[in-house]
Amino acid sequence: MNRCMKKGMPGQLRQQGYGEMCRVPGRKYAVIYRAVLMENMQYAANIAMGFFSYFVFIFIFIKLWEYIYRTPGELIAGYTKEQMIWYVMMTEMIWFGSNTGAVARQVTADIRGGNIAYLMNKPYHYALYILAKYTGEWSIRLPMYALLAAVIGAAMVGAVPGFRLVTLPVMILCVVLGVTINAVFKICISLFSFWIEDATPFQWLYDKLILVVGTVFPIEIFPVSLQPLFKLTPIYTVCYGPAKLIVDFRAEKCIEILSVQVLYLAAGCALMFLVYRKGVKKLYVNGG
Amino acid sequence: MYAIKAEDLSKTFRVKVKEKGMKGSVRAILHPQVKEIQAVDNVSFSVEEGEMLAFIGPNGAGKSTTIKMLTGILYPDSGKVDVLGIDPTKNRKQLAYCIGTVFGQKEQLWTHLTPYDNFRFFGAIYDLTDKETEMRIAELKECFELGAFINTPVRNLSLGQRIRCELVASLIHRPRVLFLDEPTIGLDPVVKENIRELIHQMNRDYHTTIFLTSHDVGDIEKLCRRIIIVNAGQIVLDDSMEHLKKCYLEKENVHSSPLSLEDIIMDIYRAERRATGE
Repeated sequence: MNRCMKKGMPGQLRQQGYGEMCRVPGRKYAVIYRAVLMENMQYAANIAMGFFSYFVFIFIFIKLWEYIYRTPGELIAGYTKEQMIWYVMMTEMIWFGSNTGAVARQVTADIRGGNIAYLMNKPYHYALYILAKYTGEWSIRLPMYALLAAVIGAAMVGAVPGFRLVTLPVMILCVVLGVTINAVFKICISLFSFWIEDATPFQWLYDKLILVVGTVFPIEIFPVSLQPLFKLTPIYTVCYGPAKLIVDFRAEKCIEILSVQVLYLAAGCALMFLVYRKGVKKLYVNGG
Repeated sequence: MYAIKAEDLSKTFRVKVKEKGMKGSVRAILHPQVKEIQAVDNVSFSVEEGEMLAFIGPNGAGKSTTIKMLTGILYPDSGKVDVLGIDPTKNRKQLAYCIGTVFGQKEQLWTHLTPYDNFRFFGAIYDLTDKETEMRIAELKECFELGAFINTPVRNLSLGQRIRCELVASLIHRPRVLFLDEPTIGLDPVVKENIRELIHQMNRDYHTTIFLTSHDVGDIEKLCRRIIIVNAGQIVLDDSMEHLKKCYLEKENVHSSPLSLEDIIMDIYRAERRATGE
């Protein structure tokens, strides 16, 4: 059924001769996503400049784990050497591939600088606008880093242990959900700029938590008493979950991680809308 | 019928105060102090549909804060706002479909996209069908003479061309009220004149209500039939342009040459500054 027709249009606007409307849910966010994607395609070469940092990082970790795993077949925290290296490569791929400006800096800058005033007077939700922009940004970066990780991994470590192509779609879904959850929580933190002058220190704390616990080391490396606590944090859904599935895919684990991700995304979005609704009333933008 | 109605609108900002020097910085951490600034103070006015109004005042008078309250960006501390029968504080999104905004110092266009792609983008943002957007682009392209650069990325356009595109982007959804905040800032006299003519045309052809703030007396004189002057958050004058000029004609006797609108406005600003002790 064609949803682009007049009957879906609010009565008041129809009376005012607004014109033929197309109120397909999410259409405007898809358009924002497309515009950012088009922009970022022009900067693919700039994105590739970051490959060097990724390579250096991964090279150090490969050498580190090769030194730690002295005997073939040795297990550390339940991971073989290959699994451990692939785990770090995958989490770093997510980190590098999704670490863009939209959620990390733009929201705080928009609120502090007053630019939010010029973005809010459009008929879209600001938080979803940022999310759409962010998705447009990582949609170029993440596949580029995924390709790089695959090449480095294949050349220096070998194939992912037990990898089956049939599980790839669900792994991609898990990574996409993880990246989106991360963005939602980062937007929530940035939105606190409505109350405090600068939410950047909180972003820094959150980033470091994700980086140290879950990105550089899997949760199983940490003391058993801390592991349940970590599993309650976004770490479990953002980086640990997707990377764990890639290096050690099991159906029951997959269902568990995806379920937690859906719950986290729903709770994160609810929190994001709530913080925005409350915060926007506190907006302080003076001057032209 | 009223397009805009503001009643007893007030807005206060809390601004951090810091004493000078290092000592002041340390003290500001231990004992932060804030002072309240009354940006808008019990402002009431109304604008008829199809009217072209100049809302002017010196820097810091409260013009932009008022526009932001009228467009739903800021929440007033007290008072009521009604724009086209919609309360901006409650239905900002609904209001966004009926109004357009151009801020001369801020660009809303995506600079890596061409004007055409931008207009398609804004058409989708305002929920217009592709067919409807195309029709409007064709109409506005002709009206604003964009043919020569409609497919050039915005970042490569001159300021005058960009402002014309900004106006088109704001008009793509055919808004009933257009808020223009210094739309001709930084433009050369010829381009300024073109932009003014286009704004005039929009008002004439589409009966668009124009709410203009500008420091350029030429914009005010050539476009608006009514003027509101604000200072220190309060309305100090609300009069028709014709009446304002007529009243001040008497002053010509004491001046060597006839008073221009700029002289009149400057006179009012100076008198207000003296009265408020600034």
